[in-house]
Amino acid sequence: MPIRFLPNVALADVAYEATAASLKGLFEACALGLTEVMVDPRTVKAREKRTLRVSSEDTDRLLYDLLTELIIVKDVDSMLFKSYQVRLGKDSKSLVCVAAGEAIDRERHHLRNDAKAVTMHMFGIRHAGRTWKATIVLDI
Amino acid sequence: MKSVEGIKQVSEVSWEIPPSFKAGMKVPARIYASKTLLENMDSGVFDQVTNVACLPGIVKCAYAMADAHWGYGFPIGGVAAFDTEKGVISPGGVGFDVNCGMRLIRTNLRSKEVQPKIRELVDLIYSLVPVGVGARSAQGFAESQIGDITSLGVRWCAEHDLAWDDDPEHVEEGGYIRGADIGKVSREAIKRGINQFGTLGSGNHYLEVQVVDPERYLDPDLAKEFGIVHEDQVLVMIHCGSRGFGHQVCTDYLRNFETGMRKFGIQVRDRDLACLPFSSKEGKDYYSAMVCAANYAFVNRQIIVNKVREAFERIFHKDAEALDMHLIYDVCHNIAKVERHSYDGSSMDLVVHRKGATRSFGPGHPDVPRPYKSVGQPVIIGGSMETGSYLLVGTQKAMEETFGSTAHGSGRTMSRTAAKRSVRGNELQKRMLEHGIYVKAATMDGLAEEAGLAYKDISQVVETMHRAGISKKVVALRPIGNIKG
Repeated sequence: MPIRFLPNVALADVAYEATAASLKGLFEACALGLTEVMVDPRTVKAREKRTLRVSSEDTDRLLYDLLTELIIVKDVDSMLFKSYQVRLGKDSKSLVCVAAGEAIDRERHHLRNDAKAVTMHMFGIRHAGRTWKATIVLDI
Repeated sequence: MKSVEGIKQVSEVSWEIPPSFKAGMKVPARIYASKTLLENMDSGVFDQVTNVACLPGIVKCAYAMADAHWGYGFPIGGVAAFDTEKGVISPGGVGFDVNCGMRLIRTNLRSKEVQPKIRELVDLIYSLVPVGVGARSAQGFAESQIGDITSLGVRWCAEHDLAWDDDPEHVEEGGYIRGADIGKVSREAIKRGINQFGTLGSGNHYLEVQVVDPERYLDPDLAKEFGIVHEDQVLVMIHCGSRGFGHQVCTDYLRNFETGMRKFGIQVRDRDLACLPFSSKEGKDYYSAMVCAANYAFVNRQIIVNKVREAFERIFHKDAEALDMHLIYDVCHNIAKVERHSYDGSSMDLVVHRKGATRSFGPGHPDVPRPYKSVGQPVIIGGSMETGSYLLVGTQKAMEETFGSTAHGSGRTMSRTAAKRSVRGNELQKRMLEHGIYVKAATMDGLAEEAGLAYKDISQVVETMHRAGISKKVVALRPIGNIKG
């Protein structure tokens, strides 16, 4: 399971740990975790694809900026996504993410918490051996 | 007793940690709590409030109120004031949800008139006030208007027939904080916020139909000053903030602040305490953007009030004016403001940060609205949806001790994940109905997360601040209908 919720990390917000075998996989897992916080992804259909291009000063920031961008799209375009394909730039300071999802449907989607921001609390990518991890705490 | 080295009891309900406790502390840390609350306070509060005491230019004390719990950088329930010349401003001392706050509206209806129609009323309000993930406004504003809206807040609403003439006066700061500059707000924040005016949000935000609890009608004379004249009078309370707009402002500036701290050579014990000199361009830019977000929140709550008034009109077939649906007050509880305070024999401007804390100005203060000048400002402290809330009044003692600040709510004791594991939303909804509270929630998970067991006892929090003389109890408010995102 790439996502594990952390009940003892944040009292008023939601925290999860993402794990993957690659850095690209970690980005995708973190994005999936964001989806899981906001909606049951099984109720979301992949009706359209949205391409997000993000670049940042370092890899940690890149992950932060990707998740922030997804929150912005949720609010501005009322979209939620169920799957993500991430292609990292050579220096891992840029990426192209193709997210598949649809407009929010309050009748059909099992909506959960409204993620409003990514906090910097415990934020950072960790790499040991063949495992990549990140802890994400979302302000809701 | 919580083991914090050197902590001293300074009154029945206040404690102080001396500067010797931690290297770098410039002032003591003061905690308002009964013995029970202190013993059960999470240890993060003590660590965080003493970290705040290390920040440059802090004046007098770093404070934690009776509802304090661990937060990001500052504890929730944290208060700190900084010299405007030598001190800092910190987004962590405000919170992501700028001007998350409370608004209280009265009616002249009695419990027996509203209770039989509570389902109809709550269902109608729920249909009129968007809640939850992706909630979008029915109130269409153009992006070209957002500069004026976030500059003039509720005053703008009154000028555009979106507020009653006396609404602005019954909102903290007269309905808008001065100093907004939309040019300091990103396109992303504007785009997130433009479609969210009049939406409730989710999490711990709510709209509640409440009744004055006759068993805790504590100060009828003071209650009368606020237009509460019956012991079973119906009121409406709204708890929400600046939505995506405010969150994006905080996100944008936290990034700027991390860069700026290297420029100014500021180091902090906790990354979430990122701060910059208030007198710097970067500090002032954040302040101007934060004020836009604060005024956004005032307008957000105003649009919701308009919908509440409409709902009452439709259900009770009377004009909202005939129902006396005037605002009692609106308070911020996540904010940083420049306020004039007396300290050490002088009167000085300070940047007062209240993060999960409420202003509690006493009688005679020039910023207390004219109708309440003789008694002090109303203070609205929200409890959990099962326990109810309180209306209090500010005091002169608050001005003397805490830069006119008090608690804001119950304070969480349990994480959302743990709460969901302890209680099922649909069972909680049923139990609340059995106790006379009709709840309409966007999600059952969201409801479970807000169960009363996840919060401190509001009565203990309020009693502590009352005994401290910081805010005085007026009435307790019992929920009969609740909307959650």
